[in-house]
This record gives sequence, structure tokens and C-alpha cells, in this order.
Amino acid sequence: MAANMLRLYLTCIRNTLEAAMCLQNFPCQEVERHNKPEVELKTSPELLLNSVVICRNEAEKCLIETSINSLRISLKVKQADELENILTKKFLRFLSMRAEAFQVLRRKPVQGYDISFLITNYHCEEMQKQRLIDFIVQFMEDIDKEISELKLSVNTRGRLVATEFLKQFI
Amino acid sequence: MPRHRQKHNMACFQRESPALKEILLRLYRAEKPMELDHHLYEFGSVEYHVQASASIPDNTYLSIATPLLYQDVVLSSGLPRYTLEMVKGISPDVIEIIEPPKEGYKLTLRLKYSRIPRNKGGVKMIASISSVQGVILSSQLKDMLMNVNSLEVSQGMYRPVKLIYHPREPFFVIKQPEKITAVFPMRFKEDTDVIIATAFFQELMDIGSSKAFVKAPHCIWSPIPPAELRGEPIEDLSTNGGFVSFDITGRHVEGKRLDKTVWNLLNFYAFVKYHVKSTRGFIQRRMRTRLESLVEVLYNAGIKDEHHIKKKNRGPKGVRKLLNFSKSKLLKKRYNFINKIKRIRSRIKIHWFSRFRKRWLNFSRFSSLTRYEKLN
Repeated sequence: MAANMLRLYLTCIRNTLEAAMCLQNFPCQEVERHNKPEVELKTSPELLLNSVVICRNEAEKCLIETSINSLRISLKVKQADELENILTKKFLRFLSMRAEAFQVLRRKPVQGYDISFLITNYHCEEMQKQRLIDFIVQFMEDIDKEISELKLSVNTRGRLVATEFLKQFI
Repeated sequence: MPRHRQKHNMACFQRESPALKEILLRLYRAEKPMELDHHLYEFGSVEYHVQASASIPDNTYLSIATPLLYQDVVLSSGLPRYTLEMVKGISPDVIEIIEPPKEGYKLTLRLKYSRIPRNKGGVKMIASISSVQGVILSSQLKDMLMNVNSLEVSQGMYRPVKLIYHPREPFFVIKQPEKITAVFPMRFKEDTDVIIATAFFQELMDIGSSKAFVKAPHCIWSPIPPAELRGEPIEDLSTNGGFVSFDITGRHVEGKRLDKTVWNLLNFYAFVKYHVKSTRGFIQRRMRTRLESLVEVLYNAGIKDEHHIKKKNRGPKGVRKLLNFSKSKLLKKRYNFINKIKRIRSRIKIHWFSRFRKRWLNFSRFSSLTRYEKLN
């Protein structure tokens, strides 16, 4: 049931990205010889499309904001308890600090979300569009999986250490 | 290295002081008697003073100053008798307790090096002597725990006793009928540490209540101070990691288990902090490994194709080599030609020649065979 829900959620995001990722080069209208991602500036409303929020539940959602030459995807990852909360924060912050390795990752997430991507027309020219979308969707799956595995590992380590400590009294 | 050996090699769990052991071993291994006067400081509050004389080789003095575990002990008569017996028991032939101790120190020992055997046993003995600070502190707790089964009811029996092993990390021991409860208020600097430690304490409680560990001390973690600590100063009860309690019964202090129980209780804080630090390191390593695999997916999305295209348009290897060779030769020729012209110019000076210089000596730009020129 949960796997089914996840599939539906990811399929919805994929379809939205396929429709939204139609980017073209568009120089800045306000400053000569400048080329800026319009989705970040938001100074010209005619260049922006309606943003879309896809919610899996209250804790998990995805915000897709599109403009003529850029697309911003923000993700909110589920955090069931305090341990998942700190693991998610640490991991996503770790990735954001190394954003240059990902090229499409934003150094700072949009407020209210855990991680954000910024895709521009240049990225679409250098990389294949389908593979970019595959990367985003795969990233979402991998993050969920990694957080769960990390939590399990931390609890398993704690259990082993507690066992070793109490063994000394026997 | 086997895991159990790794544990004993951790500095925070070693009984002997590594620096003191090194100095005593140096004296032990010296071929000739040597002069030595060394002060050592550890953990900010423990001081050792080692003195050896070359003229009287068998008289090596070791003085120790350490804050005691239990601060209410009256010290007018020096260390308690039980503590002195424990210290003497480390090595009765080698150690002699000097009364009174040197000024500023709690205990002064005379070490008779001539009585230490010259084999592996001797090195072990030196290691035991280096653990004298741990022996002094654990003797107080041992004294309290040994009377766990005593039915004597004294005034203030349930009053918690505050013990300090690590500076700024006190813990409490409460005597109760047939058991002694050790309560550890846990404090951490960061929220992440609190959460990792809390997860560990919950596992400790789960494991402790399982059938396999019925014989281990009963362990409880609570976010609020236990009822036994009511009335203690607020600064001792304000924590962010909750309170961990162990119930020590007679079974845990029988025979050789007493020493282990005491050492485990004294090092509980260090154990938890080490576990938290290791877990953080593990999380960091795991994240680094994952980063590589995540980035690889993105690289396969586009850069590989670009690289492939670039490689295709470069042409065969042989042609590239030929082009490179001719280019350097042509550049050399041009350089020599320009130098020649400069030399000619400097020798000959013709009147009115300057007018025509620009037209005659204006050479067309050399165009490289390998470079693309934009057409206007």
C-alpha cells in the first residue's frame, strides 16, 4: 500500500517535470547582457508559470516552480521522529554544501523545504532532459531509503554497544 | 586488531596513566641509574611528581594529588585506611607508603625498583603502579558498594551521595535496602548528541529488561530527575539528556566483579560520549560514500555523451601529431624572421625611410593551420 502510494507520488512528479522542463535561453529584460534564472528573481510575472505543489501527505510534498529559462524543484522529506529529523537535516545539509558536485542542486533550500534544485536552460542543453528527470526522481527515492538505512544503522549500533556494556556486569 | 583489545586501548578507558607509565618504564629500562624530577598534569586536576636520584637508585618517589571521588571525606588524617590498603595491594613488595605525604600531595609512594622482576611481569607491574589514581578513586566507590547487603540503618541512609570522577560530571549514589542505585545526570553540548544518546539509552533499557540480561544491573532512563534526587541543588539536576539509573545488587559486587562494576560505573560518561562521537563519525562516513553514488547518476546523464562527442571530432591520432609538429616549426621560423628584421632596422637609418616603413615592413598576419578565424 505504502509502496503504491510512493509510486503514484513519484509518477505525478515525473509527469509534472516532463511538462515543466521546456526551457529556453532568455536574456534578462532589465539588465543588458545579463542572463539570470527568472524563477529566482521573480521580477517579471509574464515569464513565470503557475507553481505546482504535489503533496503525498502533510509531511511530504514537492514544489515545482517554472519560468521561461529555469525550473526550481523543492522537496520536503518525511521525518517521523527526532532521530530521522536530525539525520535528514545532516544529510541534506551535507549534500547542499557540496552542491557544485551536483550542478543542479541549490546551496540553500527554499524556506519551508528540506532541499531544492535549480535547473536552467544551460543544464538542459548539456544534459538529456529525460535523464535529468530520472535523476530527480531517483534522488527522491534514494534519500528516503538512505535516511531509513541510517536510522536502522544507528539503532543497531546502539543496541550492540548496549549489549557489550551490560555483558561486563555478568 | 580484535575488538576487545581495541576497547582496552582507548585512552579514556585505560586504568593506567599513559604518561606516568612511560616515565616509570624509562626508569625501569635505564641501563644506569638516572636523575629525574618530573611533574605531570592530567585532566586539569590530577598531578604526579616523579623523583629519582642517580646516587640512591632504589629510591624513586611518586607523589599524587587528585580530587577525591567523595568530597565530604574528612582529610585531616590523610586518605582513608581502605584506600591506602588498596594502593599497597597493587604491589606490596615494591610500594611503600610514605607518611606524611609531600606537601601539596595526597599520597607519596616509594618505589623499590630493585624488587621489580626483569621480565614481562615487571612491565605489568609498572602498568599497575601507573594506575594508582584510578585505584584511589575506585576504592571509595568499592567501599560503598561492598556494604550493599548490610542491614544497618543509619541516619540519612537514603541521602544521595554526590561523586565526581570526571570534572563537571558528577553522579549520585543512593544506598537503599539490598541495593545501591547509581544515577547519572546526562548533559551534552549539542542537540544531535542528545538525540543519539537518547536512542542509545532506550536500547540500553530494552536490552537490560530482556531475558538474556536478567543478571545485569536493572537500567532505567527518564527525562526527569528520579524521586530519590529531590532536594539536590538545581544545577546538578538541570540536564538535557535525562537521567540514567543502575541498580547494583550484591551479585554485582561479589569477588572479582566488584572491580569491574566499579570501573564500568566510573567510566559510564566516557563510554556514552565515545559512543556518540563514533556514531557521528559513522554517519559522516556513510554520507560521503552515498554522495559518490548519487553524483555518479548525474554524470551519466550528460557529461559522458559530451565527452564522447569531443573525442570523435579530434581526428586520428597520427594527423594530430603531424599538426602539432608543423605548428611548432612554423612558430620558430616566424620568431627568427622577426629577430632578423629587428637587427636590420637597428643598423640602417635612412632619411625619409620612416614614411615608407609602415608600408614596406608591414607583414601580413600569420594564420595557423589549426586555428579557426571568424569571418566578418
